[in-house]
Amino acid sequence: MEILKTSALSIGYDDRTVVSDINVTLNEGDIIALVGPNGAGKSTLFKTFSTHIRPVGGKIELFGKDLVYYSPKERAKLLGIVLTERPDDMFLKVYDVVAAGRYPYTGMFGKLSEKDENEIKASLELVGVNHLIDRVFNTLSDGEKQKVMIAKAIAQNTPVIMLDEPTAFLDYPSKIELFSLLKKLAKEQRKAILFSSHDLELLLRYTDNLWIIAKNKPFAAGQSSDLLKNGTIQKYFELKEADNDYLLKEIL
Amino acid sequence: MKNSKITFGILGIIIVGIILFILNLFVGSVTVPIDEIFKVLLDDNPDKTLSVIIFNYRLPQALTALLAGAALAVAGLLMQTLFRNPLADPSMLGISSGASLGVGIVILLTGAISGTAVSSFGWWSTIGVSLAAFIGAVLVLFVMLAFSSRMKNMTTLIIIGLMIAYLAGSITDILKFFSLKEDIHAFVIWGMGSFSGVGTSKMPVFATSIIIGLVVTFFLSKNLNILLLGEMYAENLGLNIRKNSVLIILVSGYLTAIVTAYCGPIAFVGLAMPHIARFLFKSSDHRLLIPATMLIGMDMALVCNLIARMPGFDGNLPVNAVTAFIGAPVVISVILKSRK
Repeated sequence: MEILKTSALSIGYDDRTVVSDINVTLNEGDIIALVGPNGAGKSTLFKTFSTHIRPVGGKIELFGKDLVYYSPKERAKLLGIVLTERPDDMFLKVYDVVAAGRYPYTGMFGKLSEKDENEIKASLELVGVNHLIDRVFNTLSDGEKQKVMIAKAIAQNTPVIMLDEPTAFLDYPSKIELFSLLKKLAKEQRKAILFSSHDLELLLRYTDNLWIIAKNKPFAAGQSSDLLKNGTIQKYFELKEADNDYLLKEIL
Repeated sequence: MKNSKITFGILGIIIVGIILFILNLFVGSVTVPIDEIFKVLLDDNPDKTLSVIIFNYRLPQALTALLAGAALAVAGLLMQTLFRNPLADPSMLGISSGASLGVGIVILLTGAISGTAVSSFGWWSTIGVSLAAFIGAVLVLFVMLAFSSRMKNMTTLIIIGLMIAYLAGSITDILKFFSLKEDIHAFVIWGMGSFSGVGTSKMPVFATSIIIGLVVTFFLSKNLNILLLGEMYAENLGLNIRKNSVLIILVSGYLTAIVTAYCGPIAFVGLAMPHIARFLFKSSDHRLLIPATMLIGMDMALVCNLIARMPGFDGNLPVNAVTAFIGAPVVISVILKSRK
């Protein structure tokens, strides 16, 4: 099922367009990696999807309805985000962070119902960090923090989850673990997942679909192996012949 | 922290508050024995002089301290969470400076224009001062609201608030330069802060305005909690950032404006009390922090008022001289203790 669709979308800020003419769709159960060099517009695209900034042109449809017509509360139940920013309050607990995911569902004073409590616990369990529930968020390792933020997005119970650089700051095994977690979410929970990353080699190995964003080049989307075979990867990342051959040999 | 511990902590703060409140009634330049206090409060036929001292002076003063302490402390908590800055306090919005400028204009210009000091206008001058402080504070508040409704970035908002504070401060200084000596003295006295200005006559208005503001803060707790994750997350969770920051600044500014109008710019309470609440309860949940901060603010203001009026200090020591002197060591000790 089609969840999110962009048509002739241009992203950027008031005075400059960063990337234009983006036409992509995100379906139920999709897991898509957004790659591109720094400054190419990955964060801008995330900010546009999360309605922090408005599109410069074109439109984004979520379940067939233009994103701008959703109220913040409605949108909060459809699209959850995980950013590189981390809460840094001294006393904020893991439980509080994940409970924040229930914000769109609670009443005026934010009192959590039994259902909310269960969702919080289930989210922590799904991500495998239920043992951290009483810890102060600030004292966790980078990998643990990342998982807790993902648990927050799961508790938010949205069909779409977008993660900005979820593998940054993680060591190699944690990166692999994260990929399999995202895959699990896409497969078992039928969520549409979009995440950005720098780790090209890892992405080519572990994800099926890529969106490539680069300066002065059209937005590209497709299957990882196709993009590698037809030379798109080499062109967009300006890879040397030898490096490209290495990737072709190693991954295909 | 367990619920039983939280209840215990809150109860403790309330009991300390009640003791402090009673102490405030009988300590002063005239010490009223404790049994006399109860006679005055409960009997039909109390001692006339003592009754006047307690009902007309000490009771309203203690009530003022109580309300002002709660208001300033919670206003500080709102600012610290909104700006996610532990050093934020109500003065950061430039509101106290706006109030000072208002008072400065009234006190200093009247003297310069009419040639007589404001204090010679008697009763009118106190009303004038409160009104001027309130108008000054509210004007700055509106300027800040206008900026906050246009901006999503909290750091720029802090800088604008500080700049407005400096601007108002420098205008006040320029006014001082052209003013009469007696007027400058009156202005300095106002700037030291006092809980004695409200009295019985103005108490109903003061108390009602403060209580309304305090009640409203409870409705902000859900949004404040979500802000702790950062603005981008809060926005994604459905919070309207601009509307919410306008609301928080409005409530915090309103409370500060009223307290400053009646009591002068009271420093430190707004900055420090939220930290004591956080460290005591080891929590970041505003549903707990808001009442806890209010109660701690009440206790602290009562302590400061008590010390400012100790028998040795017959001339009424300025509250501002006491708040930091008592408050700073308390904050440091609470932080050190919780780090162990």
